[in-house]
Amino acid sequence: MAVDYQPRIVGFLCNWCSYAGADMAGTSRITYPPNIRIIRVPCSGRVDPLLVVKAFQLGADGVLIAGCHPGDCHYTEGNYYARRRFALLRPFLDYLGIESGRFWMEWVSASEGKRFSQVVSSFTSELIKLGPRKALVPEAVS
Amino acid sequence: MNPSEQIRAKAKELLDNKTVDCVIGYERSTDGKNSRPLFVYSSKDADRLIFDQTCAQNLVRYLLNRKDKVTGIVVKPCDSRAINLLLNEHQIQRDKVYVIGVACSGVAKTDWNKTSDKLRDACQICQQHKPVVYDFLVGEAKAEPAAEAYPDIKSMEGKSPGERRAFWEEQFSRCIRCYACRQVCPGCYCGECFVECLDPLWVGIRIAPGENEMWNTMRAFHLAGRCIGCNACELVCPVNIPLSLLNRKLEKDVQTLFKFQSGIDADAPPPFAAFQKDEKLGVAE
Repeated sequence: MAVDYQPRIVGFLCNWCSYAGADMAGTSRITYPPNIRIIRVPCSGRVDPLLVVKAFQLGADGVLIAGCHPGDCHYTEGNYYARRRFALLRPFLDYLGIESGRFWMEWVSASEGKRFSQVVSSFTSELIKLGPRKALVPEAVS
Repeated sequence: MNPSEQIRAKAKELLDNKTVDCVIGYERSTDGKNSRPLFVYSSKDADRLIFDQTCAQNLVRYLLNRKDKVTGIVVKPCDSRAINLLLNEHQIQRDKVYVIGVACSGVAKTDWNKTSDKLRDACQICQQHKPVVYDFLVGEAKAEPAAEAYPDIKSMEGKSPGERRAFWEEQFSRCIRCYACRQVCPGCYCGECFVECLDPLWVGIRIAPGENEMWNTMRAFHLAGRCIGCNACELVCPVNIPLSLLNRKLEKDVQTLFKFQSGIDADAPPPFAAFQKDEKLGVAE
C-alpha cells in the first residue's frame, strides 16, 4: 500500500449538534485530518441508507454519521430512529464485503469540538490501516 | 378429501354465496407438470383449482390490485405472513380478504419444466408449516420446523470481508436488472421505486457492477424487517442470484437486534417505526 494514501471520508453531520461540534473544533483551532468531507443534514434521522450506500458506490473509503447524543435530539427522537437503521445497515454492509470499520456512527454534541477531532483522527487512522477501497463504479467521481 | 378437493369445495361455496368476487389459486399449467396462478370468478371454473408440491408462487401480490373487491386467496404458510405484512402496512383490509390457508410441508424444486423430488432450499429450512392467518384451513401440518434456520448465512458470516466482496461482486455482475425480484415481491408496492427515480438518480440506468450492487443492496435493505421469506424473488431471478442470502441475513439481524419477525403479528409496530431509549445495538455506544 502506498504510504501517501489518503482515505476519503463522507461525514453526515446533524445540523444541531455535530455540525456545531465541528464548528467548535474550527473556532477552537483544534486540528483534525482534512480527509473528511462534511455534509450538513437537518438530523441524523434524515440520513437515508441510500445516501450511505451511494457514497460507498461512488468510491468513499469511509462514511461517518454523527448526531446528537441520545436524549438531546433537536427533534426529540430522530437519532433513536437513525440508531436502529444504522445498527442494521452496518452488519449488512460488512456482509457485502464493506468492512464495519468503514462505517461509523458517533454522537458528538455542539460543545464537543475536541471529541469531533478525536473521532475524525481515529477514523482516518483506522481507514489507513484498512487500505483503499476499490470503487464500484469504474470511473468514479473523484 | 385431499387439499385440492377441499380448496375446490370451499371456492365453490364462497363464489356461490357471493362471499367473494374472485378466488385466486393455482391450476395445472399447460406443460402438465407445473402450476400457475388462476383467478376463479365463477364456481364452474373452480374444478381447475389444485394444490400440490408444484405450487411455488406467492399469490398475495395480486391482492394489491383488488383492494376494493372481496377476494378469496389460497396461501401457503410463508405467503400468509405477507397478508399480515400488508395488513400491518394498511395496504389491504382484513374484511376484503378471505384467506384459504394451506398447511404446507414444502414445495418441490423446479428448473423450468424439470421437477425434482427435492424440496426448495427455502422449504428445507422452513420454520412455519401452518399459516399464521386464515379463515379456512386446509390440510394438516405434518413437517416439523427445521432445526437450523440460518445455516448458509452463518457460513457466509464466517468468511472474510474480502471473500464476501469477491462473492457478491461475481453474483451482482450477472444481474440484468430486469426487476423481476421486485415485481413478484408482495412488499415492493411503492408507486415510484427508488430505482426509477431520475432526480436524484440513485441508480444509473446502465448495467454496470456498481449500479447492480446499488440496486441489489437497497432492494434488500428496503425489505429489512419486512421480508417474509417466501423466496419468490429468488425463484423468479433469471440469473439465479441467491437473493435469500441477503434477505435472510437482514431477517436474522432484525430478530437478534429488535426481537422482531415480520408478518407474524399484524398489529406489532415495525422495527424502524419504533425504538427504545436505552437499547444497545452495537453502534454509537
